[in-house]
Amino acid sequence: MTVSGLASVKFIIWSMVIRSLYAEFYMTSNKTTRRRFIVATVSAGLGLSLIRISSAWAQATSGQSPQLASTLGRMARLLYPHASVPDSVYAGVVDGIMTAAAEDPQMSATLDLAASQLDQARGTDFFQLDEASQLAVMTKLQQQPFFEAIRFQVLARLYSNPEVWKVINYPGPSVQLGGYVDRGFNDIDWLPEGA
Amino acid sequence: MAKQYALDDASVVVVVGSGAGGGTLANELAQKGIDVVCLEAGKRLTLADVVNDPALMMEKLGWNDPRKGTPVYTCKTVGGTTMRWSGITPRFQAHEFKALSTYGQMDGASLIDWPITLEELEPYYSRAEYKMGVSGTHGMPPSAETNNYKLLRVGAKNMGYKEFTSARTAINPVARDGRPACRQIGFCHSGCAIGAKWSTLYTEVPKAESTGHFELRTEAMVVKINHTDDGRVSSVMYYDSEGALHEQKARAVCVAGNVVETTRLLHNSSSNLFPDGLANSSGHLGRNYTRHLMFSTFAIMPGEVNFHRGTRQSGLLFDEQYHKPERGFAGGYLIETVATDPVSVAAFVGGWGESAAEYMENYTRLGATWVTGEDPPQSSNRIAFDDKERDQYGLPVPVLTYDFHANSLAMFEHGKKQCESLLESVGGRRAVSTLGVGGGCHNMGVARMSVKPDDGVTNKWGQAHDIKNLFVSDGSLFSTSAAGNPTLTIVALAIRQAEHVADRMARHEL
Repeated sequence: MTVSGLASVKFIIWSMVIRSLYAEFYMTSNKTTRRRFIVATVSAGLGLSLIRISSAWAQATSGQSPQLASTLGRMARLLYPHASVPDSVYAGVVDGIMTAAAEDPQMSATLDLAASQLDQARGTDFFQLDEASQLAVMTKLQQQPFFEAIRFQVLARLYSNPEVWKVINYPGPSVQLGGYVDRGFNDIDWLPEGA
Repeated sequence: MAKQYALDDASVVVVVGSGAGGGTLANELAQKGIDVVCLEAGKRLTLADVVNDPALMMEKLGWNDPRKGTPVYTCKTVGGTTMRWSGITPRFQAHEFKALSTYGQMDGASLIDWPITLEELEPYYSRAEYKMGVSGTHGMPPSAETNNYKLLRVGAKNMGYKEFTSARTAINPVARDGRPACRQIGFCHSGCAIGAKWSTLYTEVPKAESTGHFELRTEAMVVKINHTDDGRVSSVMYYDSEGALHEQKARAVCVAGNVVETTRLLHNSSSNLFPDGLANSSGHLGRNYTRHLMFSTFAIMPGEVNFHRGTRQSGLLFDEQYHKPERGFAGGYLIETVATDPVSVAAFVGGWGESAAEYMENYTRLGATWVTGEDPPQSSNRIAFDDKERDQYGLPVPVLTYDFHANSLAMFEHGKKQCESLLESVGGRRAVSTLGVGGGCHNMGVARMSVKPDDGVTNKWGQAHDIKNLFVSDGSLFSTSAAGNPTLTIVALAIRQAEHVADRMARHEL
């Protein structure tokens, strides 16, 4: 299979998982407790179903709404602010979300709702606010279904990115290195004596 | 060598599915000289297809067709969920086979006793452990102690727990049965790239083929079971990879498609004689769906743990598995180690902002436990179908409904406190437990075994109460969920069922 073919398969699977996630959110949006449970259940699967987004920010916004991309990009960084992760990575995350939304009316509507809620909260575009105000707006909106939906989109794409793995010291797949049998699977050294 | 059987050969036993139940049953039958056609909806991968990457492997292994309602994680591949499982193989306890007698009637629950006892299943547990190479049994050493296991052990001792082990895992601690020893690659649920973890893909299936009594047809999606006018099953209809429909005659049919597909196949085979689906005169088909109380607990430890190094689940703690009603709930739970990829950690831990980012930047310092606990069956937890929405096979899309019973929620409160205290006792901070994590990996109960035909779908052999040459051969059989991970019990039941089928055939009763 070609690289682009593989990417396309990944996109299809990804879209499917995200769609089912969305369905769960909307179906249960009035039942907070139940939603929490379902979110956790869905997220268990998300960990198994990722694609890695690596498009550059420039590509991310070309032909798509730069205003929306800016708003979501800022939200993505404030959701998971890693000082040493460059903006281009958050941009790639937003690119992935917006690309998926182009094929998915429900997701697209969610993004539009997010942008309008974020931008209208203070009468000024979200992107233009200072950080404290942005955090206050997000805190105010965090119980809304769209917020959780976007949070899952962001975390799934951000923490499957090898550039982010470097920041959190996860080295990625080990099979090509022969696993950890000779590389520290049992090297824990800070437990009490006799452990 | 691998055989080929004619579609009109009515002497074969058809096994639907090639996972823990179907793959084991098919091999056990073939070893006895019984001709088996195994129809598997997925493809046959090789070890070279296995990548140490949960994302990619979800696409290769997962059953990714449309589903509605509560999510579920099953596999469409030769080997089924034995490709994805983590290899933990506890036996069930004696009292768990007698749930109703032990726990009594419970509001909202549809408890029954199993029609078999632990004593009856013990010889088959032993054979299953030998077959699978379970560490710490049959002369096998325990599994190597990973960082996360060592952490669990210290915490367990701090808590006053006594029963913990790195054994009881079906991952080779030493080379055995033509498969190598574990290399601690990590994230076993991606599939084991070297075949150290037991999976029917590279154990039961090739062994069955070598008997000359077994044919595996892959990408063969069974959509209907036909029966004769006198109510015996006679053939199955399946689509091949090109979408062509075939009819395979059968002497008996054994269904092992995991709970969703097992229910759907029987549901979709309804007829004038069986209007509510095959084997469903009780009305229990698809109901009493249980999937264990499951949750993970994470904490940031004072030093590096690196739980991504090594087997995903490398230790068990048994002290809480007993029925001690003074804890405020019936049944018990197992505490196990777990290692989780970064995305899942972010999802499970929850929250956002600086504190969430800080948690993630401590990824290599995370310690984690996992709980699997008994979940009482409820008639309202079920797999139903949306007849208006059809998938690529023309089958109705499954709709899953699942809610925790109050007993499971009480168990969660207890287990959360214990697991968080355990990690905190070793210096962990910001301990967090998330209910629901992993739900849909342990799937049980939708065609449960029962003494009385009114109480379930199958009898003590997994044979349909209504149809004597129709069997269910997967976790759907479980009368109740017990606490422990289900695969060992699925395999033990399949070995036992194969003996029964062979015996009935020898007596010309099948």
